[in-house]
Amino acid sequence: MREYAFFLGCIAPNRYPGAEAASYKTAEKLGIKLLDLEGASCCPAPGAFGSIDLNIWYAMAARNLVLAEQMKKDIALICNGCYKSIWEVNHKLKKHKELREGVNEVLKGIDMEFKGTIDVWHLAELFYDPEIVGVDKIRDSVKVPLAGTRIAVHYGCHLMKPKKERHFGTTEHPTWIEEMVAALGAEPVEYRNKMLCCGAGGGVRGYDLVHSLDITNEKMINLKEAGVDALTEVCPFCQLQFDRGQIEIEEKFGVRYDLPVLHYCELLGLAQGMTPQELALDLHAISCEPFLKKVL
Amino acid sequence: MAEKKTRKEPAAKKDTKKPVSKATPAPAATSPDKELGKGARIGVYICHCGTNIAGSVDILAVQEYAKTLPNVAHVDNYQYMCSTPGQKKIEEGIKEHKLTGIVVAACSPRLHEPTFRTATKTGGLNPFRFEMANIREQGSWVHMHDREGATAKAKDAIRIAVAKAALLQDLVPKSVPVTKAALVVGAGVAGMQAALDLANAGIKTYLVEKSPTIGGRMSQLDKTFPTLDCSQCILTPKMVDVGRNPNIELMTYSEIEEVEGYIGNFDVTIRKKARGVLTPAEAEARGIVGGGCNGCGDCDTVCPVIKPNPFEMGMKPRKAIYIYHPQVVPLIYTVDFDSCVKCGLCVEACGEKKAIDLEMKDEFVKVKVGTAILALGYDIFPIEKKDEWGYQKFENVVTSLEFERLICASGPTGGHLVRPSDGKTPKKVAFLLCAGSRDNTGVGKPYCSRFCCMYSLKHAHQIIEKIPGCQPYIFYMDIRSFGKMYEEFYYRIQDEGAKFIRGRVSNILEDPETKNLYVMADDTLLDRPMKLEVDMVVLAAAVQPSADTDRTRKLFGVSCSLDGWLLEAHPKLNPCGTTTAGVFLAGVCQGPKDIPDTVASAEGAASAASIPIHMGEVELEPYFAQCIEEKCAGCGMCVNLCPYQALSLVEKEGRKVMQVTEAKCKGCGTCGGFCPGGAIWMQHFATPQIVAQIDAFLLGGEQ
Amino acid sequence: MARTKGYPEPLEKKLRDTRLYEEDTNPQFTKTVEKISMTIPHMCYQCGTCTASCPSAPRSSYRIRKFVRRALLGLEEEALTDPDLWLCTTCYSCTDRCPRDIAPTDVIMAMRNLAAKRDIVPVNFLKTVQAIYTTGHGVPNNDVNRAARKKLGLNPEPPTTHGFPKYVKGIQYILDYFGLKQRADKIIKEREG
Repeated sequence: MREYAFFLGCIAPNRYPGAEAASYKTAEKLGIKLLDLEGASCCPAPGAFGSIDLNIWYAMAARNLVLAEQMKKDIALICNGCYKSIWEVNHKLKKHKELREGVNEVLKGIDMEFKGTIDVWHLAELFYDPEIVGVDKIRDSVKVPLAGTRIAVHYGCHLMKPKKERHFGTTEHPTWIEEMVAALGAEPVEYRNKMLCCGAGGGVRGYDLVHSLDITNEKMINLKEAGVDALTEVCPFCQLQFDRGQIEIEEKFGVRYDLPVLHYCELLGLAQGMTPQELALDLHAISCEPFLKKVL
Repeated sequence: MAEKKTRKEPAAKKDTKKPVSKATPAPAATSPDKELGKGARIGVYICHCGTNIAGSVDILAVQEYAKTLPNVAHVDNYQYMCSTPGQKKIEEGIKEHKLTGIVVAACSPRLHEPTFRTATKTGGLNPFRFEMANIREQGSWVHMHDREGATAKAKDAIRIAVAKAALLQDLVPKSVPVTKAALVVGAGVAGMQAALDLANAGIKTYLVEKSPTIGGRMSQLDKTFPTLDCSQCILTPKMVDVGRNPNIELMTYSEIEEVEGYIGNFDVTIRKKARGVLTPAEAEARGIVGGGCNGCGDCDTVCPVIKPNPFEMGMKPRKAIYIYHPQVVPLIYTVDFDSCVKCGLCVEACGEKKAIDLEMKDEFVKVKVGTAILALGYDIFPIEKKDEWGYQKFENVVTSLEFERLICASGPTGGHLVRPSDGKTPKKVAFLLCAGSRDNTGVGKPYCSRFCCMYSLKHAHQIIEKIPGCQPYIFYMDIRSFGKMYEEFYYRIQDEGAKFIRGRVSNILEDPETKNLYVMADDTLLDRPMKLEVDMVVLAAAVQPSADTDRTRKLFGVSCSLDGWLLEAHPKLNPCGTTTAGVFLAGVCQGPKDIPDTVASAEGAASAASIPIHMGEVELEPYFAQCIEEKCAGCGMCVNLCPYQALSLVEKEGRKVMQVTEAKCKGCGTCGGFCPGGAIWMQHFATPQIVAQIDAFLLGGEQ
Repeated sequence: MARTKGYPEPLEKKLRDTRLYEEDTNPQFTKTVEKISMTIPHMCYQCGTCTASCPSAPRSSYRIRKFVRRALLGLEEEALTDPDLWLCTTCYSCTDRCPRDIAPTDVIMAMRNLAAKRDIVPVNFLKTVQAIYTTGHGVPNNDVNRAARKKLGLNPEPPTTHGFPKYVKGIQYILDYFGLKQRADKIIKEREG
């Protein structure tokens, strides 16, 4: 059993606890134990903090990294926003001595030092990596195949982009999450402009909600055109934007979609036999019922 | 002060070394002067090069310093040493001050060493009594804002040069005869033109082409800009000329295997790949009278194997026995042994001509040539690597070379431009310029591919002309219409109705139903993002050196730049030459060129390559190794080390000693540096000369 | 900046001199942006790939290409006071596609940092700061969620700063080190009273 310090972030534990619950259980079935990262905070939000002062963003993220360094565990997480902060700050501080020294000057005051001894992973990439889990093992773990459902994938931005800094290959036509969706027995569906942003990032959701929802709506139009039963993603912030966003889109623009939005861990949980109650799917703003009816 | 001290200390060491250099005995052949350096009187000339040097080097301070150096008999400076008065100074100085060696502190020897050698010779000294100190490229230019540092470095450079100049010997260049034949590698328009020029100048020319036919990329094009003449129509006469010229020995479906020798005397091994088909001449040599391939195509008709034709960019089928197109030269079929199932149907169909030999093997042919021209051409950059444009993902995204075939009357669609997805005629076509060119991401190419702007204008013209109502959109960053009548062509195409959008396309989306494409760009002039629905996209993909370029260039010892294009001897003043004497470059392998530039470059290369042949002999710089026979132990270790096979062991007076074939030796010094007995004397770079330079640098020249 | 013509105010406004003047450019601004962003906006050749990639461009006046141009020219005032600066969703599509290998997204982030130094920063960004200062979370827990967590068999408070509030002190130390909380409070009070 591989062990990772589980960095929760904010939205999963505080808005979609089902995604958190599913992560522990699905990961464990695939040989990954997620350990509590005691005292972790917001990553912090790359849009808000990065915009105000990158140095504060580096220091705050470094504090979270040091907690895991002290546990001597690599970090696993389930949110692209957290990935941006935690993975990227780890990467930058390891690479740039000047930044590292600046951050450690701050951390000194709370008896911490960033050493650069751990790595950071998105749980989805651990699931996909054949050395760690791999698509075959995912397929083997399925008890309730999601057969007969058409599922589209939203990759989000901060996991794979900028591609030069990351290690995921193409950011124009990726298919690796689709492979993981197919492993659950569902039919992965391509749709136009798949890599378009959800619209929430960079503080735009808070700064200009209507603007951010208009981007989301463009995605919704493309998804509707493709005819899908559900949208899956690997980022609770994107999830929030698509899920609650649909309510807001209806309020602001008068258009309704009723497209269920599930984190990949929730989807995997369902396929591995977790009940909708165990996944707290009732907390979703958009009802997952029509989708569940097809599956269960 | 402290610095001076450290400099003086090792001076003692030098004394211990001196006997060693003194003891260097004279080799048998050209004995290095036993009195090496004795009574040396060196003249030092410092060039201002306008302000190029004088702007950051204190010339007078350097001059005063030079006067203090050992063996220096005369120092002078001048605005431009390379000018006639500058050279006169050297000539007069030699006579007036009885100089034995000359040092000019100026630019790189790559530029003016020949100039000053000539001046030295005119003044009455052996031209190899000259040494150059580079105080410009490696001095004033790199230390432009550090006058003190640049001045100190100039002093060092002069001190080092004087130390060597004092030990220089008289040397005599060696002349070797030049074989009256030339080699041209690659038979695209560049190689063909070069071969024709050489052949018409009376030189026997071997023209080697890796494809089954000559013609290259130009034969794939439909029309040429800006004149719009049919590419095949103007090329085929040249192809026919090449095929018929008695001075051209054409070897298609052949590759260079090995190259030995040097300017005037290259021994080249050519691999004639097994093409499975005999020419009439080859048939006759096998005793088959009146046989051999006559291009009738009966074999093609019966062959059951179907493969994509690379000449048609894979958009048309060919058989396992094939010709690329009806106008090939030579008109000889070729068997693709990778896909041939050896059913024998073709052999049967060929009948009495007995042209087909399915058991044919590669053959090796050796030729001797005086000079060689590389005309290796280009490939299209694999544009699918820029995945934002969806090439090979979206059916209706094609490259411009595919477009050429699709619009060409002899192409797979008979010249009717159609969408690959459904065969429909497109009504809106987007052309993406700089697709993979001017790209610094590390995925594309940083350079401008140079001819895409113009052929895209031509493409726009072609669809306007051929398809009524079809609208071309040209997405560009800059239109580079620099050639003769090019800007006028741009004007004409705009007048014909092409729409120009100044913006680079960020990405392309496909409508999964209609297979139409959405082109995403920023109309930067209007400052508005746009999403344009089109039927078809043509990517003006970057070009890159052809696949075999790197292997071939290494055989000839030719360098390449970082991007893989072959390196010319000088980008402005010697664009066809290379740093390997006797090897020249023609066409795109040296860098992207359109057809006029390619042909001009080919004619330049042919002219340059014919000069040594017409001269009949060439002078080799006398920088070769010499064996000091009394020191040579005959161990032979140097023989294997030599990269040019210039060394051998011979019996002399009952013992084995090394012998140098001077014409083969390139003076690289590998043997001289290695020889455990110090028995190899590298002329002009001899051990005492180099030791003196090192000493002068380390010891400050104050002893 | 101010080039008054001495006209009555409405005309002064209407006929404002809109030329680009060399003295409006600040080369130091270019350098500062490059240092913070660790990228090279001075290499931009204005191809528009960034704007064409931008999800915000087709629905607003926000033009990433223009901001990179401003970085290149050193048009500090114009860049930092443009409200469009805050419409970048940081999706990094422009960064992935820029043929000159510039990271326009990071140019925006650097400009936002410089704007924030002048207290030009939207209130929602600062409210996130306040939330984190108090709880460690930008999106804190609530009662509905606590109940749901309980039902799932999870601890009502996640094992973060929520479950272990003693860690909040460290967060407050870092934010106070930069004086950020104080500034956030001050700016929000000024704007919202």
